[in-house]
Amino acid sequence: MTRKLLRNVGVPVLSLLLLLALWQGIVVGFNVAPYVAPRPWEAILSVTQNWSTIWPLALGTIRETVYGFLIGALLGVFLGVVMAKIPVLQRSVYPVLVLSQAVPIIALASPLVLILGFSITPKIVIVAWIVFFPVTVNVVDGLSHVDPDLINLARVYGAPRWRTFVHIEMPATTTPLFSGLKIGATYAVTGAVIGELAASEGSSLALYQEHANSNLNAAAVYGTTMVMTAIGISWFLLVVATEVAATPWQRRSVARHYPWRRARSEASAATSIVSSLSKGES
Amino acid sequence: MENTLLELRGVTKRFGDATALAETSLSIHEGSFVAIVGPSGCGKSTLFNVIAGLLAPDGGEVRLQGELVTGATGHVGYMLQKDLLVPWRTVEDNITMAARLTRRVTSADRAEARRVATEYGLGDFLRHYPRALSGGMRQRVAFMRTLVTHQPLLLLDEPFGALDAQTRLDMQQWLLQVWRDTGRTVLFITHDVDESLFLSDRVLVMSPRPGRVVADITNPLARPRDMETLTDPAFIELKSRIMHLLHGGAS
Ligand SMILES: Nc1ncnc2c1ncn2[C@@H]1O[C@H](COP(=O)(O)OP(=O)(O)O)[C@@H](O)[C@H]1O
Ligand SMILES: [Mg+2]
Repeated sequence: MTRKLLRNVGVPVLSLLLLLALWQGIVVGFNVAPYVAPRPWEAILSVTQNWSTIWPLALGTIRETVYGFLIGALLGVFLGVVMAKIPVLQRSVYPVLVLSQAVPIIALASPLVLILGFSITPKIVIVAWIVFFPVTVNVVDGLSHVDPDLINLARVYGAPRWRTFVHIEMPATTTPLFSGLKIGATYAVTGAVIGELAASEGSSLALYQEHANSNLNAAAVYGTTMVMTAIGISWFLLVVATEVAATPWQRRSVARHYPWRRARSEASAATSIVSSLSKGES
Repeated sequence: MENTLLELRGVTKRFGDATALAETSLSIHEGSFVAIVGPSGCGKSTLFNVIAGLLAPDGGEVRLQGELVTGATGHVGYMLQKDLLVPWRTVEDNITMAARLTRRVTSADRAEARRVATEYGLGDFLRHYPRALSGGMRQRVAFMRTLVTHQPLLLLDEPFGALDAQTRLDMQQWLLQVWRDTGRTVLFITHDVDESLFLSDRVLVMSPRPGRVVADITNPLARPRDMETLTDPAFIELKSRIMHLLHGGAS
C-alpha cells in the first residue's frame, strides 16, 4: 500500500521537482535576466504574494473550465450515442463535427465574444467546443465495437433494445468514454484561457497575465502560467479519479462492500459459509 | 419422457447463394441430451441461430412445446464458446444478467443465483469479477447464467471448445450432473466426437455444402458415465462409425 502510494504520488512529484530544478539550473547557468525568465521560486512567490488577487480570477477560470467541460462531455456523449445508433446521422453529422475542429479555435473566439458578449458564456462555449469532440469520437468508436455476440445474447434473452443499451452497450463503452473525457480534460483549460484572452474587457486570469507581460513582470507571467497549468492538471486528475471510482472491476478481483448493498453481501456471506460447511463434510 | 419439446420442419437458411442449412426437420424429446457433431462451417451455429430466433429461416418452421416460434427470440437458453461474461459485473450479477436485460432483478433472482452458484461449486466467488476466474470457472458462470433463465431448452454451442483437455473433462462431468439435477433439454454442438458420445443420448451428424443432418444415431451407452465409458467397445464402435460419416463420405 505505501509502496503503491510512493510510486503513484512520489514519482510524479519527483519529476515535477526535477523539472523545477532544471528550470532553475538553466536560468542560473545561462545567467538569464529576470525580466526574460524568472527563477521558479520567484514565480511561485509572485503567486502566493498576490493570492488574494489571483484566487478570484483562478476561480473564474475554474468555473469556465468545469462548466464548459461538463456541457461538452454531455453533448459529446449525446452526439456519440445518436451517431452510433443512427447511421444516416453518422454519415451526415460526422463531417460537420470534423469541420468544427478544423476551424482554428482562436479564430473562432473573437466572433464568439462579439456574439455572446463579455460574460462567462463564450468561454464555456469554447471549452465545450473543444471537449465534446474527443468524447464523441470515442463514444462512437466504443459503441460500434461492442461484441456483436454479446448483443445477440441479449437478443436471445428477449431483451428490449434500450435495456441492451443500458446494461451492455453503455458499460462496454466506459473505457473509450473516459479516454475521450481525459483528452477533453487536458485541453479544457486551454479553451478557457483562449476565451478569456478574446474578451479584452473584464478581469480574468489570462488578462492578468497579459497585464503582467506588458509590465515586463516575468515572475507574474510564469506564475500565472503555473496556476493555469495547475487547474488543468487538477481537472485531469479529478477525471482520472472518477474513472478509477467508476470502474472498480479494472483493478479489483472482488467487489467492495457497499453500505447500500449490505443486505445482499451478508446473504452471500451466509451462502459462502454454507458452501464451506458442505465442503468440509465431503 | 417422450414429449416433443422442439420441432423443426423443413427449415432452410441461405446466405446469398450459399446454402448454409439445407431442408432440415427434427424433433427433440423433452429432457434429452442431443449432441450435434460436424466439421467447421457445416451450419451447426446457423441451426442454433435459427432455433434461438437470431436468424429468420428462409423456409420452414420452428415449434417449441407445439408453439410456433420461428424468427422470435426469448424462448431458449443459449451459450457459446466465448463465455460473454461482462467484466464490469460480479459473478452473481453476471448470473442474473438475463433478468436484468428483460425486467427488474428481484431479490429472488439474486437468491437463486447464489443458490445455484453455491450448489455447483462457485459459492466463494459470488462477489468476484470475471477477470479473477479461470477459463473453466468462467464457463461455469456462463452456464449458470443460461440455467437461471428457466428456459426448458438449452442451446450450447461448443461451450468447452476453448478449454484444455483436463478442464474440459471436469466440465463435461459437471454438466452431466447439472443436467441430471435440473431435467433440462440440451442441444450441444461440438466437433469432438468423444465429447458428443460421452454426453449425449443421441448424436446428430452434420455435413457441409449444403449443411444438413446426415445421420441420427441413438447413443446406448449406460449412465452414469465415467472414464471407463471412453474405452467401452460400444463407445469405440460408435466413434468409428461417426468418424466415417465425418471423414469418409456417405454410408
Ligand atoms: N452471417 C453470415 N453471413 C454469411 N455467411 C454466413 C453467416 N453465418 C454463417 N455463414 C456461413 O454459413 C456456413 C455455416 O456457418 P456456421 O453455421 O457458423 O458453421 P459451423 O457453426 O458449423 O462451423 C459457413 O460457410 C459460414 O461461412
Ligand atoms: Mg459454429
